[in-house]
Amino acid sequence: MISVLICDDSLVARKQVAKCLPQDWDVAVHFAKDGAEALIALAEGKGQVLLLDLNMPGMDGYQTLKGINEQQLLTKTIIVSGDIQPEAKERVMALGAIDFIQKPVSSADLAAVLRKHNILALAEEQTAEGLDDTLRDCYQEVTNIAMGQAGDHLARIMNVFVKLPIPNVNLIEVSELHMILSDIEMHEETSGVCQGFLGDGISGEALCILSDSSFGDVAKILDIHEAVDDELQLEILMDVASILIGSCLSGFAKQLDMQFRQGQPVVLGQHQSVEDLIKLNKNNWRKTLAIELSYGLEGYNVQCDLVLLFTEDSLETLNSKLAHLLED
Amino acid sequence: MSTTNALGEILEFHWMMDMLQTVDVGIVVLNSDFEIKVWNGFMEAHSGKLPSEVRGKTLFSLFPDISETWFRRKTKAVFELRIRAFITWEQRPYLFKFRNFRPITGTEPFMYQNISISALVSATGAVDHICMMVYDMTDAASAKKQLLALQVEHSEMTQAAK
Repeated sequence: MISVLICDDSLVARKQVAKCLPQDWDVAVHFAKDGAEALIALAEGKGQVLLLDLNMPGMDGYQTLKGINEQQLLTKTIIVSGDIQPEAKERVMALGAIDFIQKPVSSADLAAVLRKHNILALAEEQTAEGLDDTLRDCYQEVTNIAMGQAGDHLARIMNVFVKLPIPNVNLIEVSELHMILSDIEMHEETSGVCQGFLGDGISGEALCILSDSSFGDVAKILDIHEAVDDELQLEILMDVASILIGSCLSGFAKQLDMQFRQGQPVVLGQHQSVEDLIKLNKNNWRKTLAIELSYGLEGYNVQCDLVLLFTEDSLETLNSKLAHLLED
Repeated sequence: MSTTNALGEILEFHWMMDMLQTVDVGIVVLNSDFEIKVWNGFMEAHSGKLPSEVRGKTLFSLFPDISETWFRRKTKAVFELRIRAFITWEQRPYLFKFRNFRPITGTEPFMYQNISISALVSATGAVDHICMMVYDMTDAASAKKQLLALQVEHSEMTQAAK
């Protein structure tokens, strides 16, 4: 479902705008009183479309647009304002708004603008492309079994109890992946390794993210007695990543009656900023199937996230393999 | 009929062995005591050690620079969990100190190596052997080093310009 965020300082105006949304439009509507609230809601993914007022106390519409640009939030902003000077319109368009509607809003105006920018179609496209529930359930179950095996492997080799989470399965957009990755880069407290895998027409990449505070404990568990310097940290990261990625992938593949080949692992952002990596790839794909897992070890301060990303063109094969599983 | 079949199999085995010998990747097979079982042409050429010299000897006796505790730890998961282990040149430039394949025009004194270690499952289903693949990464490593040096130079120049 597509989400719409209405940002206006006046309660009456918010209600009025909400009332004008097309009747048959299946959307989740969220509200914000000012720019600051809007930015928070956007960051939480509550506004694929933003209907934004310009004059508000605190953070006004212009500042909000600037904030959206600075934080690289992905939204289509339509300004809804009583200030109809040409200058105001020019300025907001320069700041990235896609259109401008004069207050008070009418249903016809709003529908026309939404249609003009293909936003109504966007909702339909999304439902068509979304993961259906049975399939998601199936991915979740397959991953559950795979990660259970990976957890068991970890537990046996490290002699620890592994806390298993519920896997999170989603189709994500490039921008969301971008967020995950830049998060790793920005926080110096985390390190990541990525590794490509492929087999039977399915390909993807596994990402293993370890918080730096975990290194000491992981070293203890792996029976490493040397002082943990930068080089050793890298090595620990690589070892944990190969165990997790290797056993999770093999568990996953076994259930689908196939095998994955793994490439050489690469430390993320060591030689090239993550931002550049994604920028270069931006045109190659739009969506990816992401399976997120986060492991913890009981009694230790270890947090480790594993993300399996499957390319868009693998999905068909992957889905049909899973469908076989469902039939049996 | 069966003899021609058997002969065919032997011939096939022969050229397969030839391929393992000539492939431009180092192949080393070790048993669980880390004794060398296979040492292909790449390893022979670069190390100068003949297969007959190394076969049956432990990796650590032949290459004392390789830390036994470290290597055992690294391969534990391979034997027990059958997963692949990796060693990249960025972390550890080499495991076997070989000379640069281009001793004259190459800029690096030694061969940078990427190594992957995988489990070999025997007919009984047990993992008694592991296989090490050694890749020559020298060109990639020196290109990356040059790029890095250029970046540093560039940022110094822009700093100076300011």
